[in-house]
Amino acid sequence: MGNVLGPGAPWAPRRGEPLGSPGSFDELHRQCKEVFPQQMEGVKLIVTKTLSSHFQVTHTVHMSTLGPSSYHFNATFVGDRQLGPTEAFPMLVGDMDNSGSLNAQVLHLVAERIRTKAVFQTHQAKFVTWQFDSEYRGDDCTATVTLGNPDLLGESVILVAHFLQSVTSRLVLGGEMVYHRRPGEEGAILTLAGKYTALKWVATLNVGYGGAHASYYHRANEQVQVGVELEANTRLQDTTFAFGYQLNLPQANMVFRGLLDSNWSVGGVLEKKLPPLPVTLALGAFLNHWKNRFHCGFSVIVG
Amino acid sequence: PASSPPPPPALPAAPTTPEAGTAPQGLRGWLRSAYRFATDRNDFRRNLLVNLGLFAAGVWVARNLTDIDLMAPQPVP
Repeated sequence: MGNVLGPGAPWAPRRGEPLGSPGSFDELHRQCKEVFPQQMEGVKLIVTKTLSSHFQVTHTVHMSTLGPSSYHFNATFVGDRQLGPTEAFPMLVGDMDNSGSLNAQVLHLVAERIRTKAVFQTHQAKFVTWQFDSEYRGDDCTATVTLGNPDLLGESVILVAHFLQSVTSRLVLGGEMVYHRRPGEEGAILTLAGKYTALKWVATLNVGYGGAHASYYHRANEQVQVGVELEANTRLQDTTFAFGYQLNLPQANMVFRGLLDSNWSVGGVLEKKLPPLPVTLALGAFLNHWKNRFHCGFSVIVG
Repeated sequence: PASSPPPPPALPAAPTTPEAGTAPQGLRGWLRSAYRFATDRNDFRRNLLVNLGLFAAGVWVARNLTDIDLMAPQPVP
């Protein structure tokens, strides 16, 4: 009878399961990283207002205990082409703070399988980052090329190339090559990557000349998720280990994230929704036993 | 003239056990260097081994100790 989908379909030969798209290289460790709490200090107020189905603005006021306080204004525009619940094209995002520093991103779907992105960052009036990348998403592979801070006059550039291939429905293999060039200096670093996705857990490993990054994500049940991470940097001669967990209690409108790492840091963030108001309250505290440092914070998110 | 008395016979050397003598030194030295390696916080390889062990322990905890039901009813005393 043959393959009913035709000779070109990327089917795994033994299991007969379709090979999914491996996604983006930057998102290999995303599931594990989302379990860990974000550092919080001071008081933060975030107010989000959706003006239409395409436009949304956010005001963020941060009263900091470690540095100067700040205000950020963020505007997001999304177009009509929706590929998924969180993917719509084109997308324009701009964030400006009280000192005039800008962070802007433009994402566009050039063709059905080709997406492009441009990122600009300024520190007050000076451009710090200008980056352009294009990504090809096939049925079972992803290829990305990124140009970082290209400067024709200064003859400097950073070129990053990623490739991921779904070998089976669960195994993704790929690599990254980073090439940098400045007057009188150039170099390249190659990193290999692999990701295995099982029913309840995901294991990811990046290994290269600059070091290694391993992560393990485990979904114990609907309430408990755990992440374990190991990073080794041969250039800085440093290694770190981190253990994080996330507790979801939708009946209580609550999410708790905890962290323990090899730098003797312990921390946690509690997020509680306050229905029927569209308000989320977040409380966080982090303690570094070795350096004897403690900081805590809370934030109120409206909208 | 009287001849000088013959020198006394050399006493036999005290019995030595070179293997038993150097083995404790070698073992002691190995233990000492192992202790120094295990307690040197500035050693990259040592930190990597320690963190690898912690990573393996973390994966074991994640796979075996986290399947708990937070909303389970309290046990009746």
